[in-house]
Amino acid sequence: MALPVMAQKRTVSGTVSDPSGSVIIGANVIVKNTTNGTITDLDGKFKLEDVPSNGVLTVSYIGYKSTDVSVKGKSNLKITLDEDVTVLNEVVAVGYGTQKKATLTGSVATVGGDDIKKSPAPNVGSSLAGKLPGLIVNQRSGEPGRDDPSIIIRGAATLGDSSPLIIIDGVERSNMTRLNPEDIESVAVLKDASAAIYGARAANGVILVTTKKGKEGKTEFSFNFNVGFSNPTKTPKMLDAYTYANVANESDWYSKGRPASYNPLYTDEMLQKYRDGSDPILYPNTDWVSECMRSSALQTRGSFQAKGGNDKMQYLLSFGMLSQGPAYNNYPERNDQYTFRINLNAELTKNLSVGANISAIFNQQKHTTIATWINFSNIMISSPLLPARYPNGLLAGGRLGESPLLLDQRGTDKIKNSPVYSTFTATYKIPGVKGLKLEGSFNYDFNNQFEKMFELPYYYYEYNTATQQYDKMNGTGQSTIALRDTYSSWSTMMYNFRISYDNTFGAHHVAAMLGQEQQRDTYSSANAYRKNFLSSSIDQINVGSTASEDKDNGGSGRKTARNNYFGRFNYDFMSKYLVELLFRVDGSQNFPSNKRYGFFPAASLGWRISEESFIKDNYPFIDQIKLRTSLGKTGNDKVASYQYLQTYSFGGNYVFGSTVNSGIYANTMPNANITWEKSTKFDAGFDASLWNGLLGAEFTYFHESRRDILAARNLSIPNTMGFPSLPDENIGKVNNNGFELRLTHHNTVGKLFYSVEGNVSYAKNKIVFMDETPHTEAYQDLTGRPIGSQLIYKADGIFNTQEELDAYPHANGTQVGDIKIVDLNKDGDIDSDDQYRFDYTATPRTVFGLGGTMRYKNWDMNIFFQGQSGAYNYDSQFASLGSSNKDNAFKKRAENRWTVDNPNGTMPRANAYQPGNTTFFMYDSSFIRLKSLEIGYSLPKELISKVSISDLRFYVSGFNLLTLSKDIKWTDPEISGQSLSYPQQRVINLGVNLKF
Amino acid sequence: MKKIIMSICAALSLAACNDDLLDISPSDRISDNVVWTDPNLIKAYLTNVYNGLPHGYKIHMQSKMTDECVCTINFGAGIIPLGSLSPDNVGSVSIGDWTGGGNLYNWDDAYKYIRNINLFLDKMTTVDMDNKDEMIAEAKFVRAFIYFDLLERFGEVPIVDKAYDITSTETFTSSSFEKVEEFIVKDINEAMVNLPAYYKSTDANFGRATKSAAQALLSRLYLYAASPLFNESNDRTKWQAASKAAKDFIDTYTQYSLYPDYETCFNQPTGRENSEVIFSRNFTTTNGHQNPMNNLGRRYGAYGGWWASNGPSQNLVDDYDMKNGKPAFIWNNGVKSVNPESGYDPQNPYKDRDPRLDASVIHDESVYHGDTFEMWISSDASSWGMDHYKQSGDNPTSGYQMRKFMPGPSEELSWQVTYTQPWIFFRLAEIYLNYAEAEFELGHEDVCREYINKIRTRAGVGILGSDITGENLRARLYNERRIELVFEEHRYFDLRRWKLAEEVENRPMYGIAITKDVATGKKTYAEELLVKRVFTNQMYLLPIATSEIRKNGGTLLQTKTWRK
Repeated sequence: MALPVMAQKRTVSGTVSDPSGSVIIGANVIVKNTTNGTITDLDGKFKLEDVPSNGVLTVSYIGYKSTDVSVKGKSNLKITLDEDVTVLNEVVAVGYGTQKKATLTGSVATVGGDDIKKSPAPNVGSSLAGKLPGLIVNQRSGEPGRDDPSIIIRGAATLGDSSPLIIIDGVERSNMTRLNPEDIESVAVLKDASAAIYGARAANGVILVTTKKGKEGKTEFSFNFNVGFSNPTKTPKMLDAYTYANVANESDWYSKGRPASYNPLYTDEMLQKYRDGSDPILYPNTDWVSECMRSSALQTRGSFQAKGGNDKMQYLLSFGMLSQGPAYNNYPERNDQYTFRINLNAELTKNLSVGANISAIFNQQKHTTIATWINFSNIMISSPLLPARYPNGLLAGGRLGESPLLLDQRGTDKIKNSPVYSTFTATYKIPGVKGLKLEGSFNYDFNNQFEKMFELPYYYYEYNTATQQYDKMNGTGQSTIALRDTYSSWSTMMYNFRISYDNTFGAHHVAAMLGQEQQRDTYSSANAYRKNFLSSSIDQINVGSTASEDKDNGGSGRKTARNNYFGRFNYDFMSKYLVELLFRVDGSQNFPSNKRYGFFPAASLGWRISEESFIKDNYPFIDQIKLRTSLGKTGNDKVASYQYLQTYSFGGNYVFGSTVNSGIYANTMPNANITWEKSTKFDAGFDASLWNGLLGAEFTYFHESRRDILAARNLSIPNTMGFPSLPDENIGKVNNNGFELRLTHHNTVGKLFYSVEGNVSYAKNKIVFMDETPHTEAYQDLTGRPIGSQLIYKADGIFNTQEELDAYPHANGTQVGDIKIVDLNKDGDIDSDDQYRFDYTATPRTVFGLGGTMRYKNWDMNIFFQGQSGAYNYDSQFASLGSSNKDNAFKKRAENRWTVDNPNGTMPRANAYQPGNTTFFMYDSSFIRLKSLEIGYSLPKELISKVSISDLRFYVSGFNLLTLSKDIKWTDPEISGQSLSYPQQRVINLGVNLKF
Repeated sequence: MKKIIMSICAALSLAACNDDLLDISPSDRISDNVVWTDPNLIKAYLTNVYNGLPHGYKIHMQSKMTDECVCTINFGAGIIPLGSLSPDNVGSVSIGDWTGGGNLYNWDDAYKYIRNINLFLDKMTTVDMDNKDEMIAEAKFVRAFIYFDLLERFGEVPIVDKAYDITSTETFTSSSFEKVEEFIVKDINEAMVNLPAYYKSTDANFGRATKSAAQALLSRLYLYAASPLFNESNDRTKWQAASKAAKDFIDTYTQYSLYPDYETCFNQPTGRENSEVIFSRNFTTTNGHQNPMNNLGRRYGAYGGWWASNGPSQNLVDDYDMKNGKPAFIWNNGVKSVNPESGYDPQNPYKDRDPRLDASVIHDESVYHGDTFEMWISSDASSWGMDHYKQSGDNPTSGYQMRKFMPGPSEELSWQVTYTQPWIFFRLAEIYLNYAEAEFELGHEDVCREYINKIRTRAGVGILGSDITGENLRARLYNERRIELVFEEHRYFDLRRWKLAEEVENRPMYGIAITKDVATGKKTYAEELLVKRVFTNQMYLLPIATSEIRKNGGTLLQTKTWRK
């Protein structure tokens, strides 16, 4: 066997720099097809021994295109790396630190602050809809100040609270949706095992919001102002007086047993008057929605930001304001909000730097004193036979004497809320050990809320047919002036210490971090009440009556705490093979002392296969492909605390003689063994960039198994036991899986730059075990079906004729014109055994977003569509028509209803009877929306630079502009349950950005 | 620099040592061991137990589920008049429902309080405190009452006499009527030993259990046990027991007498002198009810009609005798006609009636609270009275409003007032009627008439003569109970235990249509059909909710009448 000829070897050195000439520190330099490699030093220089004389060096660095350089005939190389726009050089927040997107192994979705700003939605939460794969955002209300959407990650996987943990600048904080969008640097969502760094609170996923910091450079001032006009996306059409009265006659006739001779509630003569409007006093035809709705509500938003600094100190000062008014007449509603932020970073010495990030929100809301759903009942389902105002202008009483036009007379509920968030950080690089540093932060947040509920008596007019006068009537609410002041205060104190190490040894990169965190939260509240104020001129508590029966007060308090240890270890070899291990030991006060601490580990692996030569050499169109997978355990402790103790509360008073005697009652039965829910998450996927960025793709498949789910055994324990409410027990098992796909494309054609980005996420959960007693019929079991799936009767049209009714089983009380319910178990009876589990809920299985950006010369455009499918909604208000409570109904429901004269009608009769909810009124809530559209024009730079302006842009934008809905066409398809809520708003917005 | 590192490390280690950080005791609740060692808290625990006796001032009163008031809705309480009641929907008449469900389906609530009491009796075995024996007796009385409430609804129920804990896997089986009756009697007898004889209605303890209340409960229990629904063989000894229990009450508790005025017997605030009331649930302005606002019409801003009203029916009004003691109507083979001897004038229907009509029902031209009520509509429908349902959907469609329990003119009518009219569980008139009924069944018709006439005399209505006998007397006896105890949660159960519901509760419900001639101003009266009613024989008893049957894994059988 002949020995191969030894290649001649030598030492090669060189410098790596970027196109601007700046040196690149830490670039990988490796002899191609070997493991012989090094990285560049602080001066961008490298030195590599044992290089074959005809060898090729591969030089790579994150964010740059890697390049191959032949060493033939050279010993001192000057290598320039071109920037790689496709491989994102961005860093991603991952919890207690950041990572480069390119070497990230977890499943983390991010969106930049610039993208959020594009939407004129007043609520930051709404702007996230469709932007982040895996994030399911559903906006259910458009009420100013109360329009927070429901946000969940990858659907529900627990039977209890499935809301994610929201971390803003390192601390669990509320009010994410109230942030000034201009302050947001990025929003990242930890969907997989990478969330395990947040241990016991992470099972539902984690949203990390990072706010903007100052940056080195000349001070940059930016100013934004815009004005929006909003109105509901869709308002249901209700019955007019004539139809309403006909429906009332029908339902009256049915409930009297369909007598042959019938004196109608509304005679033909009356019906005619309702129809022709000849007697607007006694026979009005009121369209309550148009009476109440304004043409549009005004919304203004402004912000001012200054940032800058030098190499020792950077700062950001930011101010924002938002003001929203009501969309309805005589509706005392406002939301005014001011946000402030100061972010400072200072390098005190070479090794020590400190920072402070202090922000505050001053929020003032004004609402009616009446619950929103009541107001919307009074707007939507008031009878059209009730006058809203008489011809002489006097306001009438309306439904239950609570006409929505009287709301401004009934006092206000004012809420002032002023949370202050502060974070102080220090980083100390330990001299002498490269890459070792200590970091710590102290956070103190406090929030004070003062609520002033001032209720006033009100009156309206009622026409008296006997005297032909308008009688002044007292409203049904308060008969005296009453005030309740409620003061609430919250505080959170959190310390956190971390020691971290980050270094590179040749081709090996190692990073490690260990930390501890402690948190204490407090809450306290006190309230005072007085009534019988002499006058409504002063809304202060001391002005109220001092009689003891006119006064009341109350209060409560709570404390909670957490204690955790966590750590992370990262290793990569030449940025090619990536490993991450992390853990958290979490202590939660919600559990008994022996069940308090849990251990939550996670591991993830990545392989940048595109760095391998067999890809590089053969598929030059591939910029990058990364394969990644992760596995880890997280927990969920979102349940009421102290469930492990039997406690008693005051209450259940009873009167003996003429005196109230205090009572006490036992709270929830204790569960001494309560502990976390555990979630095991597995993810696998890839990130790819092809053809120099023309196509980008990210795909993730996930599987989560949730075990020890905390739920009460309500379904199996006989009520005969007589237990007070049942405690949560670790009993449920749920599997959840799905995928997320994101595709991007961007290109420049001449002067036109454009990009398109689409994402789709799918998540479906299945109950593996739940506490339930076996049903008679297997199709009723929850096991094997998604969380929240309801028992419902299957509808098969309606009974059009008596023959049809007689021929098919039906429940007692069913008449011709009622819904035909399928006898699923074929036992000849319609009873609860015929209900089956409906697999869909109001939470969509699929959500998607599709956006595009275009720039041409001074014009720019941003367009974004968002939608959902796999969601169904049962609207019991829609189902109701001509019921005895005299509510108005939806026009869509009354159209083509069964009547004696319309026996072929497809909709059920007025006052229809069904023994329970049926699929007849279960509608698919799939939709696609033009969520936002923005068109901007920037004034030419040469024009504005003369007045020292660097950027001046005018734009027009819209939110919820267009909705295409599959089934639900009479109201906004995004509702959950009844459509008696403040509707989602469409906003048309005009604005200006100015930078100097 | 060293200093900074030192201090960071020091802080780190300090925090790490803080192990008791998570040991926080609740600041708004009391723990178990504290409760059972503190006499005041034990008393408070017993106080709450009384809430196991629900009062009848609910948005949906029980009256609308029988033939006292009209119910037109097809959900909630409406499932009873419509006859669509089933084990699947019985929860919609649960007393835990926001409408109060007419106090009908009480299973869940009853067993909750039974457990509360069982736990109390268990804990009291080791507690040493003053008044201990009386407190135990009170708890047993309440338990007996709750079991009676269950028994009259379901006919047979499981007897649970211990407090199970969360790890228990017990399932339950119903005990027969007799077994439950026995259990109740045992509790009553044991309680009686240590209970005080009685409290005056002005006493600070009025509303607590007494011997007299226990005896009244016994009287009602034995009357029910003797009734056709539960005494299929018509065992005469049961009627003897019922008679004796009532008579014992009458002979023993001579402190009670019929209150002179029928209307004020019910409409006085809590704490007033009342010689008739044996046991009631009292209220205060901070712990009261809004019954007037749930029942009076729009005139006072009430919501009555919206909740489908507890508006009294024409069926009820027709059953009031004339003041002369004669029935206004006679029934012949299920057909009703005016009794020509009575002097009843259908076009002047409220004239010369039993005074209890005016005391219990507000009708057109009634004067209540200083206001004259107007329930008419003009013949051309161009004008109507303020209390007509055309004026507001919040006026009951029947043309009548409830007057019993409604406060007198000195009390303001408003949602902001909490009312304190007590809810009466037992009063002497019921004991008289219990006695009259038992004696009737034993063949002592003269005693029966004597006790009915005591009540009629107080009411100011003509008494029953000795010519009224046999089935005729039975009908008058039953009607006396209907009229005297109207709206007090008797009628629903009486019709069932008499096995008359299939006849009575299948009759349509009527209201009154009063038309006022535009020209002459003369009013004409016509009964108006309001709702068709359906009663099926299953409905003699309440079904147990399907979910509860299932939770018991097959051991708990559905109520007798509902078994397939």
